[in-house]
Amino acid sequence: PVTHNAPLPPCKRRGPGRVRSVGDGRLEVIEGCRLPVLRKNQENEDEWPLAEILSVKEVASRKLYYVHYIDFNKRLDEWVTPDRLDLKKLQLPKKEAKTPTKNGLPGSRPSSPERDVVRAGREGESQMSNGTSRRLIPSQPGRKRKANCVGTDEDSQDSSDGIPSAPRMTGSLVSDRSHDDIITRMKNIDCIELGRHRLKPWYFSPYPQELTALPILYLCEFCLKYLKSLKCLQRHLTKCNLRHPPGNEIYRKGTISFFEIDGRKNKTYSQNLCLLAKCFLDHKTLYYDTDPFLFYVMTEYDSKGFHIVGYFSKEKESTEDYNVACILTLPPYQRRGYGKLLIEFSYELSKVEGKTGTPEKPLSDLGLLSYRSYWSQTILEILMDLKSDNGERPQITINEISEITSVKKEDVISTLQYLNLINYYKGQYILTLSEDIVEGHERAMHKRHLRIDPKCLHFTPKDWSKRGKW
Amino acid sequence: MSKLSFRARALDASKPLPVFRCEDLPDLNEYASINRAVPQMPTGMEKEEESEHHLQRAISAQQVYGEKRDNMVIPVPEAESNISYYDSLYPGEFRMPKQLIHIQPFSLDTEQPDYDLDSDDEAFVNKLRKKMEITPLQFEEMIDRLEKGSGQQLVTLQEAKLLLKEDDDLIREVFDYWTRKRKACKSASLIPVVKQEKRDGSSTNDPYVAFRRRTEKMQTRKNRKNDEASYEKMLKLRRDLSRAVTILEMIKRREKSKRELLHLTLEIVEKRYSMADFGGEVMAEVLAQRALIKPTYTMPLIPLSSNQFRHQDHLELKDFKPKPEKTEVVRTKRKYEKKPKVLQPSSSVSQQSGHSSLPAFNAKDLNQYDFPSSDEEPFSQMLSGSSEAEEDSDPDGPFAFRRKAGCQYYAPGQGSNWPWCDPGDPRYRYSLTTLTVPHRCVGLARRRVGRGGRFLLDRAHSDLDNVFYGLDPEMHSLPAQSPNGKLASTSESNTSDRPAPPDLGHILLNIKSCRWRHFRPRTLPRDSDSSGLYRGLTRVSMANPRTQTGGSTSQSRTGPGPAPAAALTAEQYQQHQEQLALMQKQQLEQIQQQQAGNAPAALTTQGLVSKTLDSASAQFAASALVTTEELLAIKAKEEIVLGIGVNGVLPGSGKWSLHFATNSTTTANTATPSGHGAAAQVLMGNSVRLGMSSAGGTVNSITTLNARHIPRTLTAVPPSALKLAAAATANCQVPKVTAASSLDMVVRENHDQETTALNSIADSTVAMEVT
Repeated sequence: PVTHNAPLPPCKRRGPGRVRSVGDGRLEVIEGCRLPVLRKNQENEDEWPLAEILSVKEVASRKLYYVHYIDFNKRLDEWVTPDRLDLKKLQLPKKEAKTPTKNGLPGSRPSSPERDVVRAGREGESQMSNGTSRRLIPSQPGRKRKANCVGTDEDSQDSSDGIPSAPRMTGSLVSDRSHDDIITRMKNIDCIELGRHRLKPWYFSPYPQELTALPILYLCEFCLKYLKSLKCLQRHLTKCNLRHPPGNEIYRKGTISFFEIDGRKNKTYSQNLCLLAKCFLDHKTLYYDTDPFLFYVMTEYDSKGFHIVGYFSKEKESTEDYNVACILTLPPYQRRGYGKLLIEFSYELSKVEGKTGTPEKPLSDLGLLSYRSYWSQTILEILMDLKSDNGERPQITINEISEITSVKKEDVISTLQYLNLINYYKGQYILTLSEDIVEGHERAMHKRHLRIDPKCLHFTPKDWSKRGKW
Repeated sequence: MSKLSFRARALDASKPLPVFRCEDLPDLNEYASINRAVPQMPTGMEKEEESEHHLQRAISAQQVYGEKRDNMVIPVPEAESNISYYDSLYPGEFRMPKQLIHIQPFSLDTEQPDYDLDSDDEAFVNKLRKKMEITPLQFEEMIDRLEKGSGQQLVTLQEAKLLLKEDDDLIREVFDYWTRKRKACKSASLIPVVKQEKRDGSSTNDPYVAFRRRTEKMQTRKNRKNDEASYEKMLKLRRDLSRAVTILEMIKRREKSKRELLHLTLEIVEKRYSMADFGGEVMAEVLAQRALIKPTYTMPLIPLSSNQFRHQDHLELKDFKPKPEKTEVVRTKRKYEKKPKVLQPSSSVSQQSGHSSLPAFNAKDLNQYDFPSSDEEPFSQMLSGSSEAEEDSDPDGPFAFRRKAGCQYYAPGQGSNWPWCDPGDPRYRYSLTTLTVPHRCVGLARRRVGRGGRFLLDRAHSDLDNVFYGLDPEMHSLPAQSPNGKLASTSESNTSDRPAPPDLGHILLNIKSCRWRHFRPRTLPRDSDSSGLYRGLTRVSMANPRTQTGGSTSQSRTGPGPAPAAALTAEQYQQHQEQLALMQKQQLEQIQQQQAGNAPAALTTQGLVSKTLDSASAQFAASALVTTEELLAIKAKEEIVLGIGVNGVLPGSGKWSLHFATNSTTTANTATPSGHGAAAQVLMGNSVRLGMSSAGGTVNSITTLNARHIPRTLTAVPPSALKLAAAATANCQVPKVTAASSLDMVVRENHDQETTALNSIADSTVAMEVT
């Protein structure tokens, strides 16, 4: 088993001579190299997608490579053994030292310098010649997240281009990842045990560093405290009497409940929740405290207590109509309708507030799919239910849809577009419902059992502008 | 027509869009190319992520199939949900509460240590257990404190000893273990915590630093941030502090009770000693007697009428005030604390006499008490005034009156037709009332039984209050001035200005014709040879020293009073405490004398008892004392004291016997022939105050006198004692007047009652109508 998966500071391997020839004439695989790596797809078939080596470590005198599959989501990054590498197609990093600090061009992440396909056996002198670190000009200095902090001994090198600057203080997500460093690009926790579940984290999360070396990180299912061993968890459970998230229950129907937690009043829990959530949300930032957020935790009850299923956070005051900051269904509960339930709940809150809202951007892939699906079903539900009064063709404005659903106007339009409902016909825009759409919608709605019942919601919005939201 | 030349208008969100089914529009495809006119909306994803393989596959699958196919979903790392030991790890059942869960503000701060014992610790603790006592929790607390006590530098052993409360051996062991463990540990703390930012800003880029404070930008509203949190903390602090106060108060009370018990025990022993009750017979007898006594509180008259008007409701509440506390106060007070008070009153008396012209009440007096509401009628404040008020800031505790939101509290209504407004009304339940403890007339009041058999006096305002208050016990009784007629009229039409000093003759008339009733607490015979008695007496004299007509003091004050004979002072009683038995005898003697001679002689042997005034002197005294002017003056002096409820008698273990504390004797006689209305003369008669005390409790029963009635305080009195009392009073003949006989009657009646209901009447008062 891996005893230590923290990456070796890649900077130590930087500089001239990074690509060294091995004695037998083959190239050593180092950070920044690209090559096909074996992985099983969902049908359990072998595939050889192109991957980039992000880190190398040696465990029990055996090398392990941390690979990122190009054009695959980072959550699939993993440590692989050398036998899964296709060394024959190894691409050396053309311009070096890019690994930790991406080239800063927006939209190019994950990016690598141009590469040459090196034939095996050929030395890479030409590449090495230009081995000096490329200086990065921070493209958006104000939005820098975790600028290039690449190991402690590299600070001097990187601090020149990474003028420490804090990210903006609103919102919970960062979109500009240009200054991501190697540390945050790699998962640091192997496994999390939460209640009866074992979760494989998808992304980096800033749990205390000494805990990242553990094979399993134990969390208390109810207060989400992190513990280093089962023994500690047992001890903790003798002292922790929580059986539900430490907030007010504002919704309950059947076994599903929602708890509202104030990020300022209940810091410990909020932080623990964020640490856990960060394991599954790539763009989430934990740079700042949790004060300006409310956390809505969805739970499912059984005789042991109220088990966390998912949550979303929400800014107490959003300047950009965000009604959701981060949203997550924990992996064991995914693909069972809970995500849509969370989304539906977030819009129910917006309805009570009398506002329209939209999730904070950027969306993740799963987020986009979930939201699109929710928006589609919600809008189609309305369109199908439209009755024509006095024999005329039923009609509706986009604003009306937005008001009824609390979905922001732009999201309504994009959904209508995505569903291809908007058509220009005889001088005006019309909405058309094709048979496929109608059937697909009916099928989907038939499968959608979990719904929010607004009658079970006991929620009074607070005017945070009049209180301290921070 | 060329589609290309056609330019679609921008999509207008406020314009109605007709909804068609595709099958209704067969020609739709002809227009399809224009669809592009609607600008594409961004997805909200990052560009490069948007192009990820699995997402694109999923999106296209959705578009093709209309829904996701299982093999087209975005793959994610696996999760297992089969932890075998889960059930044993999370013990117990948790029942879903019926109500939505609501977190109480402070319910989350548990005092549990953050440190959790690990396997190494467990081994260490188990090893340590063989040598000394330690529990895992205790160990965790110790480590927790050590960890939290350490900053950059580790806690030293010395500091650890200060930090930890365990014994030194244990501290050393744990400290050593902790130091070793701490050194082996690379991280900053044994309690894993998320890295925090460093002050110098060097941690800006450290990916492991999280949850930085948002400071810079929000500086301007920094205060606001803390408002709520600090408010909550202060609430908590206040709650904790008030708990501490409560605890301390309860301790104080407990200690007082213990002291009390000690004193009482001592007293009993002393008394038994003086009675030579070495065999315990008397004790046994008393105990047996006591066992028989059930606290039956007979309630004379006046049921609580349900529709009393509002104001009264809280008056009642207030009247509770002194009662619960008083008995205790009396007991704890004892002779020790009482003495100094005696002096004070007299001075204030003289001071206050200057204000004779003051109207109904002295505002100063009123203001010295705190009341929940400032806008109450002054009159109501008077009612709850208590000389003991300062002894306990919150005497009625849970019964304290508090205004309810939404309730209107009216001033006493006037001029209405309520039964309580018109004294002539048959349902009129208020009568003049005299208290024993502040020995004075408190004006109109009615009585009823309150909780636990307490006696409540509901007081009523009348325009004659000032007169009533002026009816000092000194001049007592049958005074001549009964406000009667006036009262009736004024209350009826109260618009009128302050009534002129009432026509005493008129009042007298009314009294005589039984139109007015006067209540006084029955006075009980006192245990003459118990110190309790003495206590009772002194208490009397102290409790309302000012008004106090009590005994000799008042009389001497009034100067011309004929027989300022024996002044009873506490000191004297103390001196005579040892001679209790003797006193008893003398008392009997006295009685005999009285019986025999019918002489109103003031006999005070031993200072114990005092004097009966002969009619002549009484008359003299009265006339000297009471003129209307004088009445007012006295009234002004009065301190408003509520002595109600004070008279709880605890049947104690002492022996009951009769004691006359009759100094302040008050049989007020109306000297005036009834015919003479105008010249009001009040005869100072002797009123007999029968104070009874048991060893267990003092009775500060004080009779208040009123113009016409002789109040007596009654406490548990054995029949024999009562007989004595009766006999004694019977012999106090007050010359001249009808009132004299009233005394007898009172006593007798008491007696009768007592024999049947065998003592135990705490402070019941009996209404007497004077004929």
